[in-house]
Amino acid sequence: MPSRNRVAYAFLAPYLLIFATFWVWPIISSFLLSFQNTRVNPWRFQPSLNWGRLVADPAFYNALYNTLIILVIQVPVMIALATVMAVLLNSPLLKARPLYRFAFFAPVVVGEVAYAAVFRLMFSADFGIINKLITSIGFAPVSWFDNATAAMILIIIAVTWRWAGYNAIIILAGLQSIPGDVYEAATLDRVSKRQQFLHITLPLLKPIILFCAVLSVIGTMQLFTEPFLITNRGGPGGGTETLGLLLYRQGFTSLNFGYASAIAYTIAALAIAISLLNLWVAREPK
Amino acid sequence: MCFKFLSASVSLALLAVTPASAQSDTVTIWSWNVAASALKSTLEGFNKKYPDIKVTVHDLGNDQVFDKTLAACAAGGDGLPDIVTVENFEAELFWSRFPDCFTDLTALGYTSEKQALFPDFKRTELEMDGIAYAAPWDSGPVAVFYRRDFYEKAGVDPATIKNWDDFIAAGKKVMAANPGTVMAQADFNGDSEWFRMIANEQGCGYFSTDGQSITINQPACVATLEKIKEMKDAGIITAAIWDEKIQANTAGKAASQMYGAWYEGTIRSGSPDLSGKWGVYPMPSLTEDGPHAANLGGSSLAISSVSENKEAAWKFIDYALTTNEGQVTMLKSFGLVPSLLSAIDDPFVKEPQPYWGGQTIWSDILATLPKIVPSRGTPFQSDADAIYMATQTKYFAGGYPDAKAALDDAAKQIETATGLPLAE
Repeated sequence: MPSRNRVAYAFLAPYLLIFATFWVWPIISSFLLSFQNTRVNPWRFQPSLNWGRLVADPAFYNALYNTLIILVIQVPVMIALATVMAVLLNSPLLKARPLYRFAFFAPVVVGEVAYAAVFRLMFSADFGIINKLITSIGFAPVSWFDNATAAMILIIIAVTWRWAGYNAIIILAGLQSIPGDVYEAATLDRVSKRQQFLHITLPLLKPIILFCAVLSVIGTMQLFTEPFLITNRGGPGGGTETLGLLLYRQGFTSLNFGYASAIAYTIAALAIAISLLNLWVAREPK
Repeated sequence: MCFKFLSASVSLALLAVTPASAQSDTVTIWSWNVAASALKSTLEGFNKKYPDIKVTVHDLGNDQVFDKTLAACAAGGDGLPDIVTVENFEAELFWSRFPDCFTDLTALGYTSEKQALFPDFKRTELEMDGIAYAAPWDSGPVAVFYRRDFYEKAGVDPATIKNWDDFIAAGKKVMAANPGTVMAQADFNGDSEWFRMIANEQGCGYFSTDGQSITINQPACVATLEKIKEMKDAGIITAAIWDEKIQANTAGKAASQMYGAWYEGTIRSGSPDLSGKWGVYPMPSLTEDGPHAANLGGSSLAISSVSENKEAAWKFIDYALTTNEGQVTMLKSFGLVPSLLSAIDDPFVKEPQPYWGGQTIWSDILATLPKIVPSRGTPFQSDADAIYMATQTKYFAGGYPDAKAALDDAAKQIETATGLPLAE
């Protein structure tokens, strides 16, 4: 190694040391943990215990199903909504644009615990404003927290409310990078606004939308706070338990670190697989 | 996952500066909320007897005590205080994963005579293989708390409610006479308290008393689940989480609540305006002459193995938990129900309580203590509980032909999750 590099590495050493201790080592260690029975004292190497349980565990499939439902329904709805919001924000007709931009972005700034508490109050079955509105237009009140389907819808609403504006701002930045003369030329050729959106805006936005989709997929795979706080730790009866919650429950409520590690590795593998699929579906045609 | 550990141990390291090491007779305790306040209320009496021992109670909050104790035990006991509060249903998790983290109290003076001062159901989780890891503190003998005025308006005498069918019939009357109220509430969203209470009353639980097999699909548990669905379908119990139950109590929308007796303090402090309007009666049974006693919740105190003042720590536990003076002080100040069997003979326990319409609720409630059947938490409690709750939700939604099929499925899932066998 040339001495120049050696000095550089010496300066990097403190960071690399911390990186190795707190990132690399835990990643390896939890991989090893996943092959151990951590419910006996002392821990025993029992490679098939946790992975065998994972394959057969209804709680795991339930959490996987819940996570995928959110992935399949919430992510596309949110991205579509964010794109529409971004296009509206980009309209030259809009007055007070910074105000709207801030308003759409604000939910991200609000603390998770605070907004979860407000959502719980708003959707409370007996006293909440949402059920007041629903009954005032003649429908039966919904018991948001003890009906699994309603609870899942509530989680999707909450996550969409929180993250749609954030994605809209990213997509807006993408919109503004599309050169105006493309639209000018299209207008001269008498291409309708709708056609312009479908054939100019969307194709040019594709990398940005893809970026948002990958971010949202990873976020959904790790979804934790909303079902933990709003639906009371994934209730009712696991109806909104996500993979992240199952991991937490196994690791920190049941103190079963081995099984929690196996779940953690499964989540990471799924996130990578789904992101790759995402990139492959949206690849540039050769 | 690693981050949580990291932050827990960092805050632990910060905390570790204060306790233990300072003086030879200081004792530090980790506890939470009213439990911590109750411990503090015993200090005056304790220091009269032992003026040289300085006791400091840290109120860290329930989850924090669990997380910090867990992290500290994982780190070989580093940074633990002298005494840790442990909830009974979580207790076996600690003893089975970290047996070296706690001191055997029998070596310090927790003799078999002292152990016999407590009911068996409180001791099952605290003693393993002849080692006593903790001493019983408070318990949660179950009772029904009811609104006297609502019941009276409907002409219902609680003394006539002997079984759950009586409860359903009474509920229909009470709800008809008091529009806008519900007979009782259960947390079908995030808890399993009704099942655990009634099943325990009937001598059934997730696991056998020796903790070696799964008993959730035994006939008594099946009958319990059937009856809960019957009550839910009859509309006399509705779903409400902890906070919503309190809101309903204050707003006058619930005619009764069933819980461990520690709920007394919650009602009394949550709805001070309703003094004189509430009363207590024993929980109904499944059959005409069936049992009426069950337990829900309760804690205990353990001494850490790293404590440098084990003798002083034991002296405090001995005073606070094994004497009427200590236990009744905590009952008086913060409504913590003594596990100590002799507490029922204390004059305070026999006094009528003004908030409860002059009823002698404590002697009524404490009288059930010796009749409570042990219900083993086991290290697998949280797994079993999550599986039960999922099964319950699915059963209520019509996902199983009957309660037997539901609990058979739950038992099979618990078998997969824990590796324990089904009971014969």
